[in-house]
Order: sequence, then structure tokens, then C-alpha cells
Amino acid sequence: MTTAPKSRLRRLAPLVAVVGAGAMLLTACGPASGGGSADSGKFTYLGQTENTTIISTLEALGKDQCAAEEKAAPLTSDSVAGTQWDQKLQLLAGQDALSNMSMAAGTPSLMKQFIDAGQVVDLSAELEKLGVADKILPAADSTIKALYGEDSLYALPTELNIEGFWYNKQLLADNGLEAPATWDDLVAAADTLQGAGVQPFAAAGKDGWPVTRLVGDYIARDLGPDALKDVADGTAKLTDDEYVKAADAVAELGKAGYFGEAVGSVDYNAAMNEFLTGKAAFFYMGSWALANFNDETQNTIGVDNVGFAPFPAVDGGAGSIDQVPANVGIPVMLAKKGFGDSQAAWLKCIASNYGDAVLKESGVVSGFALDTPPTDLPETTQTVQQVIQDAPSSILWFEALFTSKGTSVSQTNGGGLANGTLSGADFMKLVQAANDEG
Amino acid sequence: MDRVLGDKRAIFVLLGPALLVYSLVMLVPILWSLGYTVFDGNPIVGFTFNGLGNFTKFFQDPAAWSAIWFTIRYALVLTILQVGTGFGLSLLYVFWLKKASSTIRTIVFFPVVLPTVAVALLFQRLFEAAPTTGPVNSLLNVFGIPSVDWFGTPDASFWIIILMDLWRSMGFYAVLLYAGLLDIPEEMLESARLDGAGGWKLVRTIVLPLSLPVLLSSLIFSINGTLKVFDTIIALTNGGPGNATTPLTLYMFQTSFTYGEYGYGSTIALMLTILCLLFTVFIFRSTRRDITKG
Amino acid sequence: MTTQTTAIASVHPRGLTSGGVPRSRRSTPRRFFARLPIRILIAVLLIVEIYPMLWMFLGSFKTQSEFLNDPFWALPKTWSLDNYVEVFDSGFGHYIVNSIIVVFPSLALILLFGVAAGFALEVMVWKGRGTVLLLFLAGIMVPTQMILLPLFTIYFRTGLTGTYWPLILTYVATGLPLTVFMMATFFRSVPREIFEASTLDGASILRSFWAVGLPLVRNAIFTVGLVQFFFLWNDLLIALTFTNSDALRTIQVGLLNFTGQYGAVQYGPTFAAIAVNVLGTLLLYLFLNQQVMKGLTAGSVKG
Repeated sequence: MTTAPKSRLRRLAPLVAVVGAGAMLLTACGPASGGGSADSGKFTYLGQTENTTIISTLEALGKDQCAAEEKAAPLTSDSVAGTQWDQKLQLLAGQDALSNMSMAAGTPSLMKQFIDAGQVVDLSAELEKLGVADKILPAADSTIKALYGEDSLYALPTELNIEGFWYNKQLLADNGLEAPATWDDLVAAADTLQGAGVQPFAAAGKDGWPVTRLVGDYIARDLGPDALKDVADGTAKLTDDEYVKAADAVAELGKAGYFGEAVGSVDYNAAMNEFLTGKAAFFYMGSWALANFNDETQNTIGVDNVGFAPFPAVDGGAGSIDQVPANVGIPVMLAKKGFGDSQAAWLKCIASNYGDAVLKESGVVSGFALDTPPTDLPETTQTVQQVIQDAPSSILWFEALFTSKGTSVSQTNGGGLANGTLSGADFMKLVQAANDEG
Repeated sequence: MDRVLGDKRAIFVLLGPALLVYSLVMLVPILWSLGYTVFDGNPIVGFTFNGLGNFTKFFQDPAAWSAIWFTIRYALVLTILQVGTGFGLSLLYVFWLKKASSTIRTIVFFPVVLPTVAVALLFQRLFEAAPTTGPVNSLLNVFGIPSVDWFGTPDASFWIIILMDLWRSMGFYAVLLYAGLLDIPEEMLESARLDGAGGWKLVRTIVLPLSLPVLLSSLIFSINGTLKVFDTIIALTNGGPGNATTPLTLYMFQTSFTYGEYGYGSTIALMLTILCLLFTVFIFRSTRRDITKG
Repeated sequence: MTTQTTAIASVHPRGLTSGGVPRSRRSTPRRFFARLPIRILIAVLLIVEIYPMLWMFLGSFKTQSEFLNDPFWALPKTWSLDNYVEVFDSGFGHYIVNSIIVVFPSLALILLFGVAAGFALEVMVWKGRGTVLLLFLAGIMVPTQMILLPLFTIYFRTGLTGTYWPLILTYVATGLPLTVFMMATFFRSVPREIFEASTLDGASILRSFWAVGLPLVRNAIFTVGLVQFFFLWNDLLIALTFTNSDALRTIQVGLLNFTGQYGAVQYGPTFAAIAVNVLGTLLLYLFLNQQVMKGLTAGSVKG
């Protein structure tokens, strides 16, 4: 305490130099070199705590169809909180320590890094080898390939969701409206509803993505299904006029107040509740919400009162209304490290049986082919299956091909579009800038 | 004497464990991360040498500047408010409530105990605008003012974050400062009172100068905490709307772990450390003069 | 530097002032009105503090639909304990045990190491102690986020991942800078003659640390311990990063269990879990507060 700071600093200097050099050495070490494909005799799974469907289905399989695999390599599972899932995966992958099977990264660009680093199994090749390649539905196969921009499959479609406008049949009928087929119909319907004192749309502006999905779908309808791929490839920019038009179309809805008051603070729960208690007429959402629709304590408008309308066509647009926006939720990936014979056996068994099991046990529509479709499904679930079956092709959501920074900027600014404080041009400028940077 | 107080073996036994744990778990990782500042990439795709590229990037990155600006604004406003309110409360405890203050002290202190997630849920509901109207907006409606979308606008979000942290921390600072006020000799206050100093004048001439050292340490403690704010923001706004309430810590975290740019993330962390250092030194410098004067 | 040293030293709660003027107990109306503003202030303060906490507690009895559809101030319709049952069914009891296993040893180590280091840095005389103190100070200014990746790598390669050790070690190391620093300043306020006298009596310095030094800063240890306890108990970032199995999850991480995959929050169980957590900390706080108060009065005898 009594020494002058200067002399202390001088004495500190060599120390800093030595440790600094050590730090550089440590830094340069990089990840531990991956070991061989030693079979651990176990089948480890890591999932998000929030998702209980996958693990319970796997456990059910282990007791029944996959009992032999379970005996050879028992399933052991663990879960971590989804809030910082990507951070966790990144830390584990950095140590080459991913579980045999785990839920994939939330941001596709992180997943691409895993693929590029050779950490995950090429499932196209592996399933072919195991003779079960036909067990993946083509729609799911193409969605996952497009998502990661790869020619091979790197994740299993444990879910297959379609998205579109769910609507309150009663509210539309009361106001003499039908399910809209074009965007102009949709805007006109919203205007009528607003005039009648009914909030046209429920949307989670706080989460952002339910709003930006509309921008992406509009682009696909107006400019065709490959329009966002052009942006990812750099042949087009979001700030180009024809793209800005889509964001403007959504911003117009916001400015007119069609999303209701204070939409920027409405979260997923609240938006779902608005729709299910009859406070809003339309609700853009994925088919995973069927669980909520079928739950009578949440759904006070009645499950028969919920209709599904595909995202409407845009007049003169290059896209078509039957190209359905689809996603695979969070699929599961298999790590290359530790992938041996018993893990391959598990993969084969999962591919063959998961689809039937998860639909029967949890009512979840997956991207696996079914052997024996159950007959007693709720009507809404049947609608979803029908739509998936009839769709000639699927389209990805707005941020699917963006960088993680672009995704995050897009979704945090979605609320601004919905409450009319952000213009379409400004929104696209922010997102394009974030994409360019990352 | 010096032989005993300079006993090498004793120093080793006393200081050894702390220094060992601290070096291995803090110093080594810090230096390790500092090493990353001249690299690009992350542990998955590997690192490539990048020279001072990350630093140039930082100074040209508008998102980084907006994060710095938010961090400084938040730290200054909250530090002044929480130390100020804490001081006010501690005066209340010492001079008006006296020994009866124990219960009130505990109650006001208590929010510090609550998990951040809980407090954030509470404040989200307090300022809710839709679908149900929260108490604050209901109050506004009573006066004929329409509901405000508090979390949808940058300025309003900023003040709610401040308010929430103030509610949580003022009791803590009150207790910290209260302990300091107790050290002021009663005789000194008494003689000042006899000299005719009362109320505000007493506080200004006697209490304030005498508690300046405690205030100073509170300020430093507070500024170093607020510059590194993380939990509150994650729980309440997650940096939104847009990136209007994104502090440097959150930006660093996103850059490293969401965007996978670990080198750049470390650079942001280093800048934040320097910012903490600058503020600490500044507080020292500006108050030292006052102390020598008083 | 010197300024700050004396600064924190005066936080040392030397004791409640025993003096004080005997006050006449007259309660005239004028006196009542003179004190009115302060009474209103205190009343407002209590409402602002107590009502939100009461609301959280009441929330633990509400159903999801009551949260979403009823106004903020509505009381729960039934006093059902369903939410609490759900909390304990989800393994929350286990998370509480984990938190205790991790936090208390960490706290003990922080205080033991911190006090010893503070003593060595402030009371002992040796070359380079200023530098070491500065080194500890640096730790206060570095953001925790910065050390996560290297630490994860270290714990993984040393095989510590999957045990309680990563949490305990990280907690101890992050808690040390503030503790060492505060302890050093507390020791500075103790007259050196005390230690010199005790060593003249023939006691070794280690003994005089244990027998003389520790008791002298007892109050300070309680104060610092309380502050550190809340840091550790409420930590989310470190716990989230270094626990990768359900078996190791702490309370704060466990609270996230009631958030759904698409961001849906189950309010009732969340608040029930918070109520359980808070009740525990409240009891602990009241107990420690007693100790601190005892320490304060004991200190006043000394001072």
C-alpha cells in the first residue's frame, strides 16, 4: 500500500508478460482432438428441459420396439435449460463432447458450424446404409436440407409443423367474413373486424418472430419460394424495393392498429390466450399450438371453432398458396464422436418407429413415415396431416437462412413492425446490416 | 517484531489458498480470454490470428457504441439513484426511526433476496398494457391518459429497468450506509446541535462529510456492479425493444455464444473492464479532493 | 488507494451508539403534524415494499387463467396448494439440496480464504503485498462472462464436469476479490499494536491470527458473508453454464423449468417455487440478522 504505484507497475510488467505468453499458448491449443468412434456401450441423449416429448418417446421406444438396442446400449438422458441452449452446445462441441444424440442448435448457422467441423453424422448416408432412408418424409427431408443449406440430412425431424392463420370461425361468421384467400382479402377482413370492435390479430410482438414470419411468408408469396435464398446467396438484398414491400405490408397492419394495443409487450402466452379466449379473430402460429387448442382449460372458444387458413396469396405474386410454411421444430442430431454399432442400431430403430410412437403417445406430427396411422385423431390434427400430405413443397421462415446476428436483430425488431413504430424500409435496413456483418 | 510479522511460512499459509484458487479460476481464464482478443473464430471452427482487427471492428461497430452508451447511462443513473436513496433511507433509520428501525430495515432490505426472474415477472405485470391492463396503466386511465406500451419504447423500458433495480437494491445500500452512519460519534452531533445546527444543515455540515468514505466505497461498489448489469436485463427486456436496452455484457454474451465470434466477444469484455477501471479511478480522483478539503 | 482503504474501513459496524438524548414523551398535536410528512413517507415506503411481495405470494395460489385474464390485484379464487405440489413433483426439493450443497461450502471457503488473505495482505509486512492486493482488485472489474469459456475447457479437461466442484470453485474464486479487499480494509482499522502485543507474548503469528484477528473482525465477516450469500444464492449465469445435468441443478436454474419451449411461462408454479425459495432465505436472513445484531452490540461494548 505504501509503495508508489509506478514502481509497482514496473515490477508487475514481467509477470504480465510471462502469464500473457502462457495465455497465448493456451489459446492456441484449440479443441481437444477428437477420439475414434469408440463405442461407449451407452446411448446418451441431451435435450432441452422444456421439451419432454422427445425423451419420453425415446424411453417408450426403449421399453418396446427398441428393447434389444436398449439392452445393448442403455439410453441415458440429461437435460439443460433451453434459454442458453446454443451456448451450452457450443461449449460442449468445443470440447468435442456432444452426446450421442442431442437436440440441434436453435440457430441454423451454429448447426452449420457443427457440420463444417465434422462433428455430426451425415444421416443421408447412414440411413441409406441402414436401409431405412425411406422412413423420412420428403417434405421433412427437404426442409432440413434447406434449413442448413446442405445436400445431406444432418438432423432427424422429430417434429414437422406447418404454419398459417388460425381463425375464430364464430367471429368471422358474425361479421360475414370467410377465410381470406389473398392478402387484400386479409386486410379487408381486418378492417371490417376492427370496425366492428373486434381485434383482428393476436400476435406476440415481444417475441418478434410471429410478426417477422408474416414478412417472410409475404416475400415467398410475392417473389416466389426461392426469394429468401437469393438474399442468403447475396444476389438480392432485403433493402431492395420488392423486399421492402413485404415489410411495409406488415408495417401497414401495425400502423392501422390491427394487432391490438401495446403489442410490443405481448408475449407468447398472452397472444395465445387472446386468441383462445375469443379476444382476437386471427392468430398466425405453427401447428405445435394444437396441444393448446385441444386443451379445454385454455381454449374457451371451443376446439371446433378453430379454423385453419393457409397464408394468403399475393395478387400477381410468383408464389402459390399451397406452398406451405413448414418447420421441423428443433430436430435432433447425432454426434460423430462415439457413433458406433450400437448407436447405429438405435438410429435405425428410431427412424423406423419414432413417427408412430410420438403420434400415438403425444399427438405430435413428426417428419417420419407412419406404418399404422391411428384413426381416432382430433379434427385439427387431421387437418394438419392433410395439409402436409397435399403440399407440393414447403417454404422456410423469414430468418431461416440468416446469420445468428441477423436472426436476433430481426426478431427483436419484429415488435416495432407490429406496433407501427418501425417502417418496413428501416426494419429491412437493420436486418440486412446485421446479416452483412455476421 | 518485523521478523514475526514477516514470517514467510505464515504468509504462505494464510495467503496461499486464496491466491491459488483465485489464480487458477480467475486470473488464468482472464488472461486466456485476453489471448482470444487477437483471434477470430470460436472453439468449434477453430481460431485464426486476426491482429488488432477485433479492436478496429469494435470502434466502428454501431451496436457496440449503442451498448456502451446504454451501459454508461444506466450505470450513472442507477448509481446516483441507489446510493442517493440508500443514503436518504439510512438517515431516516438513524435520525428518525432510531432503534425501532430494525423491522423496517429488514423489510426494505428484503427485495435483494428475491430471485431476478421473480422481480422481472412482477414488473412486467405492473407495467402491463395488454391483454390485461396493469396497475400503472390503470392509474393513468383513471386520469384519462391512455395506456402506455412501456416495454415497446426504448425510453420507457430504460426507466422501468432503473426503477426495478432501484426497488431491489436501495434497501441493501441503506444497510451498508447505515453501518457507516453509526460510526459517527454522538458527541459530535450533539455539539453541532448545541451550535444551532439542525435538520438539513446538520446533515450537510457534519453527517455528509463524515460519511463520505462509506459513500465512496458504496459508489465504487455500485458503479462496478451496474456497469456489469446482466441478469436484470435478460429477465426483463432481453435487450429490447430492438437493441435499445442491450448493455455491453449482454452484447458480449450474444457475440460469443450466439453469434460464435469468441474473439470479438473477448474484445468487448476487455473494453468493459477498461470502462470499469476508468470509472473507479475517476471516482477516486474526484472524491479525494473533497476529502482533503473537508 | 489509501483513501479507499480508510473508506471501507469505516463500514466496520462498531456498534450502536450508546449515547442519545433523553427525549420528553409529550405528544402534542403540533408535534404530531410536524412528524406527519415522515410518517406518510414511511407508510408509502412500506406499501411499496410489502405489496409487491404479497402479490408474488398470492400468485403462488393462482391458476394460469387467473394470471392471464384477471386484473393484477385480484385475489386467488381458491387457496389450492396444487402449484406447490407441482413444484415438489418436479424435483424442486432436490434443487434446494443442491443449492445448499454448493453455496454453503463455497461461502465458508470464501470467508476463510478471504479473511486469511486479507490478514496476510494488511497486517503482515512483506515485499510485493501491494501488487498482490492490486491483482485481487482487478477481479472486481472483470465481467464474469469473460471467464466462462476458458473455465468450461479447464473443468472439462480436468474431468471436473459433472460434479459440484466447478460451481464451488467458480463461486469461491469470483467471491474472493471483494472479500479479500474488504477484509484487508477492515484489518487496517484495527490498531497494529494489538497484533504486535500478542506476538510479543510469544504467540506465533498464525495463532494470533486465529485467536486475536478473527474475533476482531467477526462483525465484518457476518456483513461480508451476508452480501456474498445473496450473490451466490441468486446466481444464474454460472450455475447455468456449469451444470449439465438435472442432478446438479440449483434453485435458480430450476425456476426456469416452468418456462415452456416457445417461451410460455407457467406463472403459478413459478411463483410457488419462488415462495418456497424466499421463505428459506427469509428464515436464514432473520437468523443471521440476529447474529449481526448480537455482533453489533458486542462490538459496542468493546468500542
